[in-house]
Amino acid sequence: MARSKRKQLTTLLLTLLCATLFPTLSHADDAGLVATIEASHKFSKKLSAGLEAEFRSRNDFRTADRVSIGGDVSYKVLPWLKASAGYVLLIDNNREEIKYQKDGVSFNNWRPSYWGLRHRFNLALTASYKIRRVEVSLRERWQYTYRPSKMIDNFDFDEGLWEDHEVKGKGKNVLRSRLQVEWDIPKCKFDPFASVEFHTTRELEKTRFLVGVNHSLKKKHNFKLYYRGQVSGSSDEPNIHMLGLGYAYKF
Amino acid sequence: MRKIIYALLVMLAGITLVSCQNDDTDFSDIIAQYQVEPASIELDFSALDEAPDVPVTDEDDPAYNDYVENTQWDKVININFGGETPVVTGTVPGVTVQADGDHITVVNMSGPVKFVVSGQTANGSLKFYGDKRFQILLNGAKITNPHGAAINNQGSKTLYIVMADGTKNQLKDGADYDMVDEEDQKAALFSEGQIVFSGKGRLDVFAEGRGAIRSDDYIRIRPGVNLYIESHALDGLRANDGITIDGGVINVLTDGEGAKGVRSGGVMTVDGGRLISISIGDTRESTTDEGLADTTACAALYCDTLVTVNAGTLKFKATGDGGKGLNAKHNVVITGGSFQAVATGTSKLKKAKGVKIDGDFSISGGYFYTYSRLSDPLEVSGTLQVASGYKTYDKGIRVITISY
Repeated sequence: MARSKRKQLTTLLLTLLCATLFPTLSHADDAGLVATIEASHKFSKKLSAGLEAEFRSRNDFRTADRVSIGGDVSYKVLPWLKASAGYVLLIDNNREEIKYQKDGVSFNNWRPSYWGLRHRFNLALTASYKIRRVEVSLRERWQYTYRPSKMIDNFDFDEGLWEDHEVKGKGKNVLRSRLQVEWDIPKCKFDPFASVEFHTTRELEKTRFLVGVNHSLKKKHNFKLYYRGQVSGSSDEPNIHMLGLGYAYKF
Repeated sequence: MRKIIYALLVMLAGITLVSCQNDDTDFSDIIAQYQVEPASIELDFSALDEAPDVPVTDEDDPAYNDYVENTQWDKVININFGGETPVVTGTVPGVTVQADGDHITVVNMSGPVKFVVSGQTANGSLKFYGDKRFQILLNGAKITNPHGAAINNQGSKTLYIVMADGTKNQLKDGADYDMVDEEDQKAALFSEGQIVFSGKGRLDVFAEGRGAIRSDDYIRIRPGVNLYIESHALDGLRANDGITIDGGVINVLTDGEGAKGVRSGGVMTVDGGRLISISIGDTRESTTDEGLADTTACAALYCDTLVTVNAGTLKFKATGDGGKGLNAKHNVVITGGSFQAVATGTSKLKKAKGVKIDGDFSISGGYFYTYSRLSDPLEVSGTLQVASGYKTYDKGIRVITISY
């Protein structure tokens, strides 16, 4: 009976997620990989810290999109509330940008893709609530990302020349709200989880849907496999289907 | 456990390796078209193998009087510079020759007279009055006038400039002109009437103050002539009523703002020879009488009316801001020969273009090449007519080539 209920709940969870996700993602969307390696240490019951490296690809797994490395510190303020702060150095392969003439057909400018740095700082509060073996958590994360200015090449089709173009430095504030459900299935090596996350600036920028499984080995090693669908709020950025792989080491 | 980690690392490495592809749009072909280098156009003084120059013998032919051979030149006056005063030999009734230092004034009320000019002066000139056609045979002459034209013909009849075979001749003006009331003096070699160049010698004309060669009528250049024109002020070779090139080697270099290498106010016809004109000046900014801002772009060749190329080699290059290889205000017709125009300048005040034609453009033979580094290589405001039978007709973003 319990097994049957678990199955029903899992099926319901996945169905809901897919139903929300697939109408918004089409075959013209992009696909890529997100792979993470993480190491964390618990200094006490309340305090822990971690380091994480991430690699992302796009263009149907063919093009590197981002490499990042960062760290965070977490503190359990209350048994159900965790506060954290972190920093991430992002090395992005920024997508090309093509500008057209007024006729909408002739090219005006082309800024090829380029690698650039960004610095990201974040503060987060995560509230968790466990209902039997299902843990529901809500994370509110404020992140500030600063992109330093950089000189890059820009091809001007009017002049037929490569020109120096300055990508100006700018900062950006984003509020990320994530609702996550994790299910600790007894005697099962794989624990499913799902989440939905909204990235909001002045408007909704993107929404991420995530569904996957965790697999722990000897409590020290944790492997994660998931699917992440990202629906972009702007037409400049394509929606993207991502395959997620993660390894975390706790010491 | 290690096996799992190794497997994971190998998988990540594999994925990273396959993620090396660039996802940019492939503009390489388009950019390559923009970045194509132009055909090389440089001044060329080498001898040209030309067909024999056969004078017109039909007196009814409008060009009959353009041939110096069709006139009897029994009246000859020799002028030799180089001494303390110029040596003038030969007298012709009705012709007076007055010298003020090396500045010689001739009044010709007689008829066709041949003036044989030789020697060198750093402060001299030749000035002619009289409505009779006459000939100047340059026989190793080097005349510099620091205050005006080196040769100034105030008469309206034909001035035949003949370069004696194998001679080198030079005319040069100064930066400042001493003007005379009600007299034009527009170039180092100026004539109110038409100028016909012939002979197998060489003439170099340098302009510092105004134009290099200018006729208020038309100019004809015949085979065998070797002309080098260098203007640091106004236009290089200019005629109000048209330019006809039958042959010869003509090299023109101008660097003045808004200056034209070759400028024709009338029909320009090319039937042979090799004309290379390079303009390196920028667009000139000025103010009109009404106080309005005005701009004038350079051009290696500028023509107010019809340009016809039947034979010969024409090469034009403009390198300054807004400079044009050919700027034609009317129609251009090419039936033969080789035509190349290149514009490599910027387009800040005016658009630099290989060829700009305000009228129609038709081509039915020969070779045509135009290049613009920063804009369309060919702008035709009227109709563009490329006759069938061409070997190539390549329309690139920066280069257009048509050949038959």
